[in-house]
Amino acid sequence: MRMYTMNLTTKRLIRLCVAGILWAGFLTRGGLPLMAQPTIIPAPPQEQPLLIEGATIHVGNGTVIENGSLRMENGKISAVGPAGSVSVSGAMVIKAGGKHVYPGLIACHTILGLAEIEAVRATRDYNETGELNPNVRAIVAYEADSHVPPTVRSNGVLLAQIVPQGGVISGTSSVVALDAWTWEEAAYQTDGGLWINWPGNSVDVTANADQRQKQREQVEERLRALTHFMEQAKAYGELPQPDVKNLRFEAVKGIFTGEKRLFIRAGRAKDILAALNWCRTLEVRPVIYGGHEAHLVADFLRDDQVPVILDDPHALPSRADDDVNLPYKRAALLKDAGVEFCVSTWGYWQLRNLPFMAGTAAAWGLTREEALTAVTLAPARILGIDATTGSLEVGKDATLFISGGDALDMRTNQVEAAFIQGRSIDLDNRQKQLYRKYMGKYGLEAKLP
Amino acid sequence: MKTKPLFALLAIAFAYAVPTGVLAQETFPENGVQDKRPQLYAFTNATIVQRAGVRIEQGTLLIRQGRIEAIGRQVTIPPGAVVRDLQGKYIYPSLIDLYTSYGLPSPGSIPRRADASPQFLSEKRGAYGWNEAIRAEYQASDHFAVHPGEAEKLRKLGFGAVLSHNKDGIGRGTSVLVTLGQERDNLELLQRAAATHYSFNKGSSGNDYPTSLMGAVALLRQTWYDARWYAAGGREQARDLSLEALVATQELPRIFEAADVLDILRADRVGDEFDVQFVFRGNGDSYQRLDLVKATGGALIVPLNFPEAYDMDDPYDARQVSLRQMKHWELAPFNPGRLEAAGIPFAITAEGAEKDFWKNLRKAIACGLSPEQALRSLTEIPAGLIGMEEQLGTLERGKLANFLITTSALFDEDNVIQENWVSGVPYSVDDPGLAGLIGIYQVEVPGLPALEMIISGPAAKPEVRLIADKEEANASFNKTGGLFTLRAEMDIAGGALRLSGFAPSPGEVPARGLTGQATLAGGETVTWSATRTADAKKSDGRKAEQQTAGQKPGPVLYPFTAYGWQQLPKAEKVLIKNATVWTNERPGVLQRADVLIEQGKIAAVGTDLRTGGARVIDAEGKHLTPGIVDEHSHIACTRGINEAGQAVSAEVRMGDVINSEDINIYRQLAGGVTTSHILHGSANPIGGQSQLIKLRWGQDPEGLKFEGADGFIKFALGENVKQSNWGDNQTTRFPQTRMGVQQVMVDAFQRAKEYGKARGAGGNVRRDLELDALLEILNEKRFITCHSYVQSEIAMLMHVADSMGFRVNTFTHILEGYKLADEMAAHGAAGSTFSDWWAYKMEVKDAIPYNAAMMHQAGVLAGINSDDAEMARRLNQEAAKAVMYGGLSEEEALKLVTLNPARMLHIDDRVGSIAVGKDADLVIWSDHPLSIYAKVEKTFVDGIAYYDADRDAELQQQISRERARLTGKMLGVKQAGGSTQKPVSENKIYYHCEDVYDEFNH
Repeated sequence: MRMYTMNLTTKRLIRLCVAGILWAGFLTRGGLPLMAQPTIIPAPPQEQPLLIEGATIHVGNGTVIENGSLRMENGKISAVGPAGSVSVSGAMVIKAGGKHVYPGLIACHTILGLAEIEAVRATRDYNETGELNPNVRAIVAYEADSHVPPTVRSNGVLLAQIVPQGGVISGTSSVVALDAWTWEEAAYQTDGGLWINWPGNSVDVTANADQRQKQREQVEERLRALTHFMEQAKAYGELPQPDVKNLRFEAVKGIFTGEKRLFIRAGRAKDILAALNWCRTLEVRPVIYGGHEAHLVADFLRDDQVPVILDDPHALPSRADDDVNLPYKRAALLKDAGVEFCVSTWGYWQLRNLPFMAGTAAAWGLTREEALTAVTLAPARILGIDATTGSLEVGKDATLFISGGDALDMRTNQVEAAFIQGRSIDLDNRQKQLYRKYMGKYGLEAKLP
Repeated sequence: MKTKPLFALLAIAFAYAVPTGVLAQETFPENGVQDKRPQLYAFTNATIVQRAGVRIEQGTLLIRQGRIEAIGRQVTIPPGAVVRDLQGKYIYPSLIDLYTSYGLPSPGSIPRRADASPQFLSEKRGAYGWNEAIRAEYQASDHFAVHPGEAEKLRKLGFGAVLSHNKDGIGRGTSVLVTLGQERDNLELLQRAAATHYSFNKGSSGNDYPTSLMGAVALLRQTWYDARWYAAGGREQARDLSLEALVATQELPRIFEAADVLDILRADRVGDEFDVQFVFRGNGDSYQRLDLVKATGGALIVPLNFPEAYDMDDPYDARQVSLRQMKHWELAPFNPGRLEAAGIPFAITAEGAEKDFWKNLRKAIACGLSPEQALRSLTEIPAGLIGMEEQLGTLERGKLANFLITTSALFDEDNVIQENWVSGVPYSVDDPGLAGLIGIYQVEVPGLPALEMIISGPAAKPEVRLIADKEEANASFNKTGGLFTLRAEMDIAGGALRLSGFAPSPGEVPARGLTGQATLAGGETVTWSATRTADAKKSDGRKAEQQTAGQKPGPVLYPFTAYGWQQLPKAEKVLIKNATVWTNERPGVLQRADVLIEQGKIAAVGTDLRTGGARVIDAEGKHLTPGIVDEHSHIACTRGINEAGQAVSAEVRMGDVINSEDINIYRQLAGGVTTSHILHGSANPIGGQSQLIKLRWGQDPEGLKFEGADGFIKFALGENVKQSNWGDNQTTRFPQTRMGVQQVMVDAFQRAKEYGKARGAGGNVRRDLELDALLEILNEKRFITCHSYVQSEIAMLMHVADSMGFRVNTFTHILEGYKLADEMAAHGAAGSTFSDWWAYKMEVKDAIPYNAAMMHQAGVLAGINSDDAEMARRLNQEAAKAVMYGGLSEEEALKLVTLNPARMLHIDDRVGSIAVGKDADLVIWSDHPLSIYAKVEKTFVDGIAYYDADRDAELQQQISRERARLTGKMLGVKQAGGSTQKPVSENKIYYHCEDVYDEFNH
């Protein structure tokens, strides 16, 4: 693999295509797929109060209300508690006995809406050319009418941070709600994060000694360039009125003022340590993304109060000698070490399996409610949107879903209804439509929640 | 000091370094007067080691005209002989290396086309074969020329003759046996074609084919069949000088270069098919499967390529080094000794370890190799392996005068090879006079205070240090002939102090010290003397390595990786009690039931079964299911899963490239997988033959194979076979469209039918392994698993099948199977799909997670597979998604990854359900097997718990202890000044069916 900027997702997908050979050709030949979905319509604002009654309510902060009720008004949760304690007055009631209510799951790191058909270059819009692109903004490239978000939200994922991937400084991420007419409307938190690919990431451990030496030198060079850039950006940020406006520096400013969070992709222990040290010098508190060896440097992370977005529990251990179940156990290892963390998964279409990533963490050391927190309130905190979302508490957005069973287990996940800020969203998607269409061909009955 | 004879000897010694020109050649004209000499030498009073274990004390060796004329205690020395008194010296046969490229031009680099478009045929000029990786026509003798520099290096190591071949290609042609003198080429060439050489590495060939190891195996196999056909009359069609050369050299010994121990077993199987016994150039890891290497019956040529210790100072970097690498570091020096103990005949080569040859050889001896075997492996055995034992290998009358004169027994630490005689011509190797100088001396120079002199370092270039009371200086050292000079700047001498003197005679320890003339700074000359007071210290690094070398090493693991067994487990009698048993049979799910396992089979299913001496496992609250069968897997194979060099590669076999050492076997057992169908990839419409394996962790590749199962073959449709995503250069290999794919299929089966007819009619019909495989399909002896996505293509293949008279057994991936499940059901094709993958490429845009349930409900035998080493260990969860998407019952969902794939693979009489008489391939789960919360507690294959969560926890402890022990040992080597290498991890490649592995890009 020669592209050092490749993230895990791209690597995996490239493998799926053909090792070492890039896609080409489609751009010049045209023939792009049509992406519009005429029958799936974004939901209008909530007009009438709604009451979900008699459900098991998983608040997202660790507590569970058995036989509980939840009331939503004007897109917000206005009451939640044991059934009977919540006012029914004027509300449309959804009987949810035996069912489960969860906060909408939050995907922390995705190229959703930035990629449609990954092998087709013309549909890949997450990897800008160049090394230092803090100023490129994922939000403006988000395709609200992509085919993919409807397949993701129908499993309970309702918010997602969309993230540029390329270069050393990849760009600026935003959080979107997965039901909108346009990207402007989808934006839930605009330009909240700045993303860095830690240069050390690019050393390919499978390369031979010479290649590795070369890579190490490149890493040094990139790190120097990054450091110079950030020093200057910091100084620039202190100018009251710069003579010449520098778009790149402008985009970095926020991480020094606290308006933007700095996310650093780093997996190996050494890289994490190097990144932490680098951030100390810059006086910035980062979030580590990836972190497959974060448990090895947990003390440093805890002491610096640096949270970790754990990527993809459904992964193989990176070494033959590792515990075969290590990737499943990482969440519990970080919890035990007192590190703030959340759980995510790679890719875009793969996001629909986010609930099961949490399920795996629950099978291997977290409690089920802790695992739920790891994909709801914990990411909300790490992204800085927990004031308005991430748990089912009064005053927060009514962004939640109802499942027929335990949503963290594929055996029982049956999402029957979902709400984003009180809007009852359409859970249909193109895949369900194809399902119905072809069941019809065979005269069979489609079974959908 | 005996100056006279000393000077005489040195004069001879220095004449050795240039070609003597004294060996006459009848047909060559002479410029000037003829110079025929008797070339008669007698070596007396030597300890002569004629061969390992046979030594003559105070013996005489008489040589004439480059041959041994007499040897023994009582040899009459004829008049006219040059007599050399070798009192205290040794004579050994010189060493033979069978694995060199000495004197040959180096192979070309890989020709890369500017446009990187495919190359189907060889572009070598001449009437040679189609594939340049078969270079049978290459005769090393045509290219051999004496290379003085290389010859000298080899002579310095003690070699007198080497076999030399061109290390390039799969068929490498013949090697030439040469002596290592520096006479004319004609005089050094001993045997024109001594052996033929092979490997599985296509080298510098420009042909695309083969792109994979299995393609290389197939090419070798097919080429040998072609040679038979050619000899039987095929040559009348068209001449092929490569095949002709193969036919002409088939009586020669065949030497195969194996990349690792599994390669030895692999090549041996190919050899067996043709009644050929290879000699294997191993790679120093034979100890990992010693019994199997022995069972090949082949002799080995063994390198001494022992890895250096890893530098483990940085604990994060140290983590990159696997237990496998660490253990190999420790065990590699034991390899020769273990081969000896196992009674495997082997020669030793310096190849790959030329720099450390003697260090490593002595290390091997410290690690159990006997000096006798070492000598045999460097003399008699290599001579015998190429049928040259009449001429080389021992010191006997009539043989070539190829021998070494040494100062001590050959393998002694302090031994110096003084002279290396090649065909009766002497070459000096190491002047032991220098070695003799090493030591600490007390120096007396009249007029100066007492000095200490330390002479240390390598004999060839000693370091000299002069130490006075308050002053130290390094002295420059020069030696010319028997005279040496030292020069140092010292205050006590008032400037330059120059000492000169006679070096002691070769090998002599200057017991009486040194003496000579000193020239002082003022110019006056005095006589100085030095008395030896002590030996100089040896370098610490060497000591450190010797200290650790002999220590008892850790155990070999099977397979040779973390989580391997020290001893392979055996089947036991086990009673699993009180489990929720998912039978996949008519009784359905049994509550609180018992299952008895005996002799690898399910002996009883019921309630309250009697123990009968069985080990009882209480599975109260747990679930027991049949083992998971993965219909589409690419684990456990080596060096490529796609033979992408041709559109049809039915001749390649995954069974040739099974890798029993893959950690993913263990990881998947930990996910409940017991049987995996190892498929060729999807780079071409007709791929290769697949291999069904059981995950018998620890067994060798043959032991993993599912015995007696029907053969399958991988076909593929869609973007990969059209090379749609391979880049703009890949637009010329046919096919590039769905239309072309259909024609490839039709054409292939048309050819197969015609071939079958021709073969049936008899005569010299060329055996074609590609068409053999296709014929097997037509004869229902081989079955198709076809990679497929889009409905039009799926329908197309079923039409081709109907028209050609075969059936598509299984469509794999089959992401649009739901669109034509009715047609598939009518054709009788099964569908083995992903649960929920989609969107990653154009042809999967309509993939839907309801597919498995829909196919099942529409009457197709449906399953869910992995095509992914990670997902395979969660196939139970993937099956559960058919409950979530499409509402399958839980029992039916579990069958998607157990009974249904077993039926697709025609092994449902053995596995896939829990019934008496079936194989005891079972999984105990902590929870409902379709739940994300279920963990595997035990996985049985053939009644053996190859994975056990409790044992796994112990193994993790063991691994961590063994790593700590080995890390400590390596740190010790570094501490003591031994050499180390940077920590590097081994390559790890996880294959998906679209991965093209090119041997030359990795």
